[in-house]
Amino acid sequence: MTKIGSRVPLIDAVEKITGRLRFGSDFKLPGMLYGKVLRSPFPHARILSVNTRGAKRLPGVKAVVTGWDYDLPIYSVSGEKNPDERLLAREKVRYIGDEVAIVAAVDEDTAKEALKRIVVEYEEIPAVFDPEEAMKEGSALIHENAKQNIARIIRIRHGDIGKAFGESDASVEEVFRTPLVHQAYLEPHSGVAQWDLQGRVTLWIPTQSPILARMTYANALGITPDKIRIIQLPMGGAFGGKLEYKIHPLCALLARETNTPVKMTNTREEEFMASLPRVPMVIKMKMGCKRDGALLAKQAEIIADNGAYMNYGPGILLSATTRHDNLYRLKNIHTDSYLVYTNKVPTGCFRGFGCPQSFFAFESIIDSLANEINMDPADFRLRNASQTGDTTPHHWYLGSCGLSEAISKTIEKADWSNKRKELPRRRSTDRAYGIGLACCLHVSGNRTFLPFFDGASAYVRINEEGRVIVSTGEPDLGQGSRTTFALIASNELGIPIEWVSVAFVDTDLSPHGLGTFGDRATTLAGNAVKNAAIDARNQLFEAVSRKLGIDPSDLIIENGIILSRKDQNLFMEFGEVAKIISYEKAGATVLGHGEFIPQNVSMVNPETKTGNISCAYPFVAQVAEVEVNLKSGEVKVLSITAAHDLGKTINPLAAEGQVHGAIAQGIGFALTEELIVKEGKITNPNFKNYRVPRAKDIPSIHVIFVESNDPNGPYGAKGLAEPALTPIAPAIANAIYHAVGIRLTSLPMTPRKIKDSLRKK
Amino acid sequence: MRMKKLVRMNVNGTWVEAYVSSKQSLLEFIREDLNLTGTKKGCGTGDCGSCVVLIDGHARTTCNLPTTKADGREVITIEGLAQRQRLHPIQEAFVEAGAIQCGYCTPGMVLRAKDLLEHNNKPGEDEIKEAISGHICRCTGYVKIIEAILLASKKMLKS
Repeated sequence: MTKIGSRVPLIDAVEKITGRLRFGSDFKLPGMLYGKVLRSPFPHARILSVNTRGAKRLPGVKAVVTGWDYDLPIYSVSGEKNPDERLLAREKVRYIGDEVAIVAAVDEDTAKEALKRIVVEYEEIPAVFDPEEAMKEGSALIHENAKQNIARIIRIRHGDIGKAFGESDASVEEVFRTPLVHQAYLEPHSGVAQWDLQGRVTLWIPTQSPILARMTYANALGITPDKIRIIQLPMGGAFGGKLEYKIHPLCALLARETNTPVKMTNTREEEFMASLPRVPMVIKMKMGCKRDGALLAKQAEIIADNGAYMNYGPGILLSATTRHDNLYRLKNIHTDSYLVYTNKVPTGCFRGFGCPQSFFAFESIIDSLANEINMDPADFRLRNASQTGDTTPHHWYLGSCGLSEAISKTIEKADWSNKRKELPRRRSTDRAYGIGLACCLHVSGNRTFLPFFDGASAYVRINEEGRVIVSTGEPDLGQGSRTTFALIASNELGIPIEWVSVAFVDTDLSPHGLGTFGDRATTLAGNAVKNAAIDARNQLFEAVSRKLGIDPSDLIIENGIILSRKDQNLFMEFGEVAKIISYEKAGATVLGHGEFIPQNVSMVNPETKTGNISCAYPFVAQVAEVEVNLKSGEVKVLSITAAHDLGKTINPLAAEGQVHGAIAQGIGFALTEELIVKEGKITNPNFKNYRVPRAKDIPSIHVIFVESNDPNGPYGAKGLAEPALTPIAPAIANAIYHAVGIRLTSLPMTPRKIKDSLRKK
Repeated sequence: MRMKKLVRMNVNGTWVEAYVSSKQSLLEFIREDLNLTGTKKGCGTGDCGSCVVLIDGHARTTCNLPTTKADGREVITIEGLAQRQRLHPIQEAFVEAGAIQCGYCTPGMVLRAKDLLEHNNKPGEDEIKEAISGHICRCTGYVKIIEAILLASKKMLKS
């Protein structure tokens, strides 16, 4: 049997390494057509007319559809009550890339040619690109019902902020800016749709949540969810960017129009200009503390640049607004946050869900405050760190909290105390060195933005040969959740992991799970798989008990053998028992059901936003060591030491990989990545000019796991993948501050910004 | 009608002949005409390395290479690397080292590693980083990919 904590390669590694795994973009159906989207060339314009005659006349074109051909509903993502978009624009377009018309043709080249022959008459209207401008009275209005372009306001009030700042011995205030950055998953969005004669559509798509996609696409198409079947395909990376996305229902529209299967795939340029990158934010933050290091107050204003449509903006803004407040014992909190429309690409989820933005501000200010009172930044954090058993002002209950341990271990491994003293002395005429620390916390499933339910469920099916198939509603994004589920089933059923396979999600067959996001798969679905495996195991024990006349409670299961605890000679083989049960039930197989409904977890109070939103909270402390080139302004990250309280390490091999990958994405966010937008147009929609980290940009990384054994996690496990990214940018910023004494407040921290700041100093 | 040209190439040990348009990329030919979908499209501009195959033993991006340029050459795609159901040592090393996450960059990375190790059987970490600098992996931070190539080098030296 394969035990929890074993270093297990991915169960689909061989399919991947041989190129045999068929990803979404590899999927084909016989006779299928290819679809393409005509996108708006203007950031804000009225559509006066659309003429599709020329396109329709082109040989090979099977359909051209515009927003006027169907009465398409206004919709938004799952759980959002204020819908603001249509699948195809009607009266006006709101960003460069907005979907205006779609074409299906016999091949991609013909579809592309047809796009050129659609004549759209636009009347340009004033556009607004800066969220602070957009909030001013008299700015161009992007959505009629959103006054001053404000889509959502969140106000948080805890404690007495005036009194707390009055009592503070030191305070620091800064304005931080985070850029538009893309998930840059390597496989572009893709999908295939086909309708049957009963008016039901099947979508073969790579998606993080088949269930949420089904709800949203039903709303977008104006049909009921039961008319949609989603079969999830393997995906080439997701990172939050593969939740609901428009080309899937657009594909369904074209497939219905042509009565033929249709495939659509984005180009990389379309990915950059018209998918759902991270929400940029302007964060004004002030914090105060006592001379002894007691943190007293935080006041903040966040302006989030939502782009043209809302998507998951409200949930992301809530996360950016409140999550960091739970990291330290902070009581006086005052935050006003605004989600603002602009005439730019709509934004969405990207690893961290608002936290990489807000923690950049928060953990930079924490560093500055420590410097103000001449306290070591690590000691300052340890002085204020939240602890196991705390209930925070936002009503989060921390059932486990390894923050202090993570800080202590990471600074020890990074030789923090010595290097804080020694690195500044290493400075030469053209190089300076520094070391910085930053921390964060996250969730294991986020209850705040989906009203439906919380938790997860699973089936563990044992076939008549004693081989096991696990089903959940949580797709594998490439991070290896199928392997995690297989490992859990193997551990509980006492069989080798090779006997276990994990099904891809199919809404006709799988449990109705919410999907993989918010670090929920391991904790919620992992618990469900564990419970389902125990249920299946109990069914096996019942059968053995009947056959051998042993009490089920006396049975154990090891290496595929079910045997008596008391008499080793009384045993049956796993497969033999499965066969007996199946034959006794006329071919029915053993089917274990498992569910996990986290207790004491709730939606937030609509007014105060308080509520225990997750059943377990992971914590991270990361240290960055940097070299700053004083002439060129270039920053080289020399090492990252990363300690992660993940509750329990289920598969160290995969867990390390999650941390490494998140750190690389964090380095990109900190130093190089930015979509440059000029008058609403993205000027660098390619990998040449949008600089994701390459192998040479990655420093040596030391990963430390802290196991705080959360009472709610399966074997104690909590989330890992998202928070591993969050502290990197502030850790690097704090290291730069240590090296050269400049506080960078705008990402990415490019050589130009650093040179400018050095000059001004 | 676009002009089509006859090309002949050896793909994974089998000679193939086809009339192709001068515009068609080798990537499209491999994926669409030969149905070898292990070679991936990540960008279409030669900047991400997902579409790398071996042409006469050299790793090359194919999204920006006309099919006609491969006329008369030997092409190895990821499907052609494992021999008789046995993984190549580089493939074994990637699996063991945990160098695979989503798997989309993997075929290109493996073939790049093959090219590197054929010409330098004991590369250092910096040489590996240099060799894979044209490849994007968004999942692993490259750490375990570098470990895998070092491991593959050891495996290949042994055998």
